[in-house]
Amino acid sequence: MNDKRHDRRDVELDRLFELARRTPPDISGVERNFETRVMARIRESREPWHAWAWRLAPVFLALTVLLAGWSIFYSPVHPADPVAALASETQEVALLDYLTGE
Amino acid sequence: MAVPDEDADLVRSAIGGDDEAFTELVRRHKGAVLRSAARFARNPAELEDLGQETFLRVYRDLRSFRGDAPFGHWLARITVHVCYDALRKRRREEKDISMEVLTAPVADPSTGNGPSAQLARMILDQAMSRLKPEDRLVITLFELEDRSVREVAELTGWSETMVKVRAFRARQTLKRLIGVDDER
Repeated sequence: MNDKRHDRRDVELDRLFELARRTPPDISGVERNFETRVMARIRESREPWHAWAWRLAPVFLALTVLLAGWSIFYSPVHPADPVAALASETQEVALLDYLTGE
Repeated sequence: MAVPDEDADLVRSAIGGDDEAFTELVRRHKGAVLRSAARFARNPAELEDLGQETFLRVYRDLRSFRGDAPFGHWLARITVHVCYDALRKRRREEKDISMEVLTAPVADPSTGNGPSAQLARMILDQAMSRLKPEDRLVITLFELEDRSVREVAELTGWSETMVKVRAFRARQTLKRLIGVDDER
């Protein structure tokens, strides 16, 4: 009984395969002008590095503008105490003297 | 139908930088590649991707084509590998694949009544999407493309014994998944 059922299931599976083989998938939509799209991708993939650099130009430009703006508008906070500021400067001069051996 | 010698000439020209020669190769072989890839693609967009990826790989590896076998054979191997890679990638993405049995209105061979060809494909697609990538690859090449064990072994790079084992295992799983009505 089991063997019989096993056989029937094989036959039915084979029938499914046969039916599926009879209807090849429809590729007409993708096939149309396919070679043109492939060649476009190939040309894109072998573009030289400077072509990409040009594409990144707007990003670099925006970055430059941001940095320029930041350097113009950013003003570091100076110490309110003039003596502390002077001491800091004196320390820097001493350090410079030490490093240059003077 | 592509003439092998002409294909070899076109390959040589394409290696030399002749884009028109490579376009001609794609034009000649796109049908075979797309028909084969269509057995693995879930929709036209995926078929387009598989087809393009195949020809991109062909273009990159053109210099490794030695010409001792027809270009079509070499191309078929690349197509199979691209499709297999796509199946494995898809499998990683779809971690929770249900193994529940499909209720398929399978034909009764004694009466000849059964699903239409389109429905048969749909049932098989659903069931085969649950197979392991290697099992699906083998059963597709073996049963749907009607290739011999030797051909499948050549295309996949697996031994003939391995192909037979995988085909058998895939059939067993499919029979279980398609859930043929045992009480009939």
